[in-house]
Amino acid sequence: MADQAGSQNAARTPRTAVVIGGNRIPFARSGGAYAYSSNKDMLIAALDGLVARFGLQGERIGEVAAGAVLKHSRDFNLTREAVLGSALSPETPAYDLQQACATGLETVVGLSNKIRLGQIESGIAGGVDSASDAPIVVSEGLRRVLLDLSRARTPQQKIKALGRLRPKDLSPNAPTTGEPRTGLSMGEHQALTTAAWNISREAQDELAYRSHQNLAAAYERGFFADLMTPYRGLTRDANLRADTSPEKLATLKPVFGTSLDTPATMTAGNSTPLTDGAALVLLGSEEYATANNLPMLATIVDAEAAAVDFVHGDEGLLMGGVHAVPRLLQRNGLTFDDFDFFEIHEAFAGTVLSALAAWEDEDYCKRVLGLDGALGSIDPSKLNVNGSSLAAGHPFAATGGRIVATLAKTLSEKGGRGLISICAAGGQGVVAILEARN
Amino acid sequence: MNGAPSGETVLAGLPSLPGLYRQAVALVVRRTIGRAPVASALPSARHRVHGVRIDLAELTRFEQELGSAARDKLPSAYLHTVAFPVAMSVLARPDFPLPLLGMVHLSNEVHQDRQVAASEVLDIVAYSEDLRPHAAGTQVDVVTEVDVAGRRVWTGRSVYLARGVRLDASGPRTSDAERPPFTAPRPTALWTLDAGTGRRYAAVSGDWNPIHLSGPTARVLGMRTAIAHGMYLAARMVDQAVAAPTGALDWRIDFAAPVPLPAVVAASFTRTRYDGGERVDVVGWSAERRKPHFTGWVRAE
Repeated sequence: MADQAGSQNAARTPRTAVVIGGNRIPFARSGGAYAYSSNKDMLIAALDGLVARFGLQGERIGEVAAGAVLKHSRDFNLTREAVLGSALSPETPAYDLQQACATGLETVVGLSNKIRLGQIESGIAGGVDSASDAPIVVSEGLRRVLLDLSRARTPQQKIKALGRLRPKDLSPNAPTTGEPRTGLSMGEHQALTTAAWNISREAQDELAYRSHQNLAAAYERGFFADLMTPYRGLTRDANLRADTSPEKLATLKPVFGTSLDTPATMTAGNSTPLTDGAALVLLGSEEYATANNLPMLATIVDAEAAAVDFVHGDEGLLMGGVHAVPRLLQRNGLTFDDFDFFEIHEAFAGTVLSALAAWEDEDYCKRVLGLDGALGSIDPSKLNVNGSSLAAGHPFAATGGRIVATLAKTLSEKGGRGLISICAAGGQGVVAILEARN
Repeated sequence: MNGAPSGETVLAGLPSLPGLYRQAVALVVRRTIGRAPVASALPSARHRVHGVRIDLAELTRFEQELGSAARDKLPSAYLHTVAFPVAMSVLARPDFPLPLLGMVHLSNEVHQDRQVAASEVLDIVAYSEDLRPHAAGTQVDVVTEVDVAGRRVWTGRSVYLARGVRLDASGPRTSDAERPPFTAPRPTALWTLDAGTGRRYAAVSGDWNPIHLSGPTARVLGMRTAIAHGMYLAARMVDQAVAAPTGALDWRIDFAAPVPLPAVVAASFTRTRYDGGERVDVVGWSAERRKPHFTGWVRAE
């Protein structure tokens, strides 16, 4: 089979794009099982599993889109190189995309739009990240000397360039999670938002506890059996603590917001750890799925991106999704009551709880979001029902693929409609609607 | 130097800052051994330099050190840097009554009518005015004006304090009003300044004042440790407040406790939009010791 199951005359009207399935490797804690695996290694591992599950060996997929947030400059064509290292047809095109933690979801949005437009019939979307195998760059001083050295033509010019080298230039720079424009780490930014919305330590620990409980229960009933390929000895997410409790979580020391006037509430337990992993989803047109006898788990209905100004204190860094959701709902004529499942990425427990509080706050919704009143409440029993990033971990670009595959499978089992909201660095947020097929 | 009408001195080009500092050191020595008289009034001289052109490589290094985008438009604080040698040449005159070395920068206020392109040719004039007593010594304003093709585009007023210098014991003194205790607002930014910040800013700005370079050179001038350049803080403040100004830009910074290097400076940016523009109020303080380093505002139209 090849990427031409639809009509030879590509449809010019929007069609339906569906999630056929997904595959990821278990997420490892930074420095753990995947300490020596590169982004390309992990992306290929996830791709191999997807190819095997859906019999895609030798197939030319319409397009593969993936990305990594922490990416080495040598991986300029990371996704294409992963395709060449996989069993897919080498004639499968691929591109890299990066939108911080929204990378994975944005690849799904981009490829599903191509499918809807009739430009491709099938697509593989997702992402990978390694906090262990992070690129380390030479200092700015050494980099400039080396660049000038490469441009130097005469020995004198070369000596002059080298003469500018100082001992301190030899120490390398590792990437940080600091926002380039503010210098605050993501955790410190969230601590400000958590404090502004008066989110309690207990509520954050409770959300973290539920995430572990839900993820553990999903593993117990075999939910991930057809969504995951073991890798490097891991068969489950290494961060999962099925035996944790609100009491245990309450003993952890706060790590963010410790210099604020309000009590510090964010701990290693209610914040996501640095994680390694990869996740992908297989997308297709209805025609492609039918022609190839593949399942259709859910329809990708619509998506929206938003960004907020956190630089001037107008809004919290991770509140982008809070702004995107009402716009998406309005365009689709939907309210929270029309949804059966909510997948709100748990960058920090405080991120999720701040979003919920904001959508319930009438004044905020009117003043900041421009709505007529509060957007509404979300029933906790509909939220992240199969666990989320606090339990699974959060390899930045892999999270979107994990969430889309998890929600699509949930919808195929239970029916209904689901909302995804993923916050990202730079004050961004990407949100999407998925619907069950029946 | 040529004499010109109205006490104006036209310099042949931008003076060399290291040369001005050497001149200042020599003057300190001569005054210490009592060979040079100390004036009691400001010189009326205005120093002017015509035809100043921007070096694009120097501009790029300045912009990148401050973390701002390397644009072909001049950062507002960079115009201060370009004009600084002219202002310094006024302070380094033998008939200037206050000692240049060790003077403390209290505040800076800038009014800019429009954005200035790196390709524009600048006329710069600097003069001092309003010598007046201060509770801790004597303060003076140094005014710098930048013209392009005969039209004013940028005006900066820096206030300096010569600590412990009393020119007229009978004059009135502005007293330090009782300061309310400092309450740190919620930070929206955290600037990590390493020990080399002063040396790197000196390299891109030309301001090699020893109090910014290292512990030993700062101690010679009575500081406990090297401190960050006030204009480094101002430049970061202005750039972060309004990332891409298109028209008029006004700003002010008032310096409180100096920033000892290395340091972590917390900052709070609060924006208010109004018809036709925006104003961003800024506070910077020591993240560790909860002491204010500066307050300021930036207004863009």
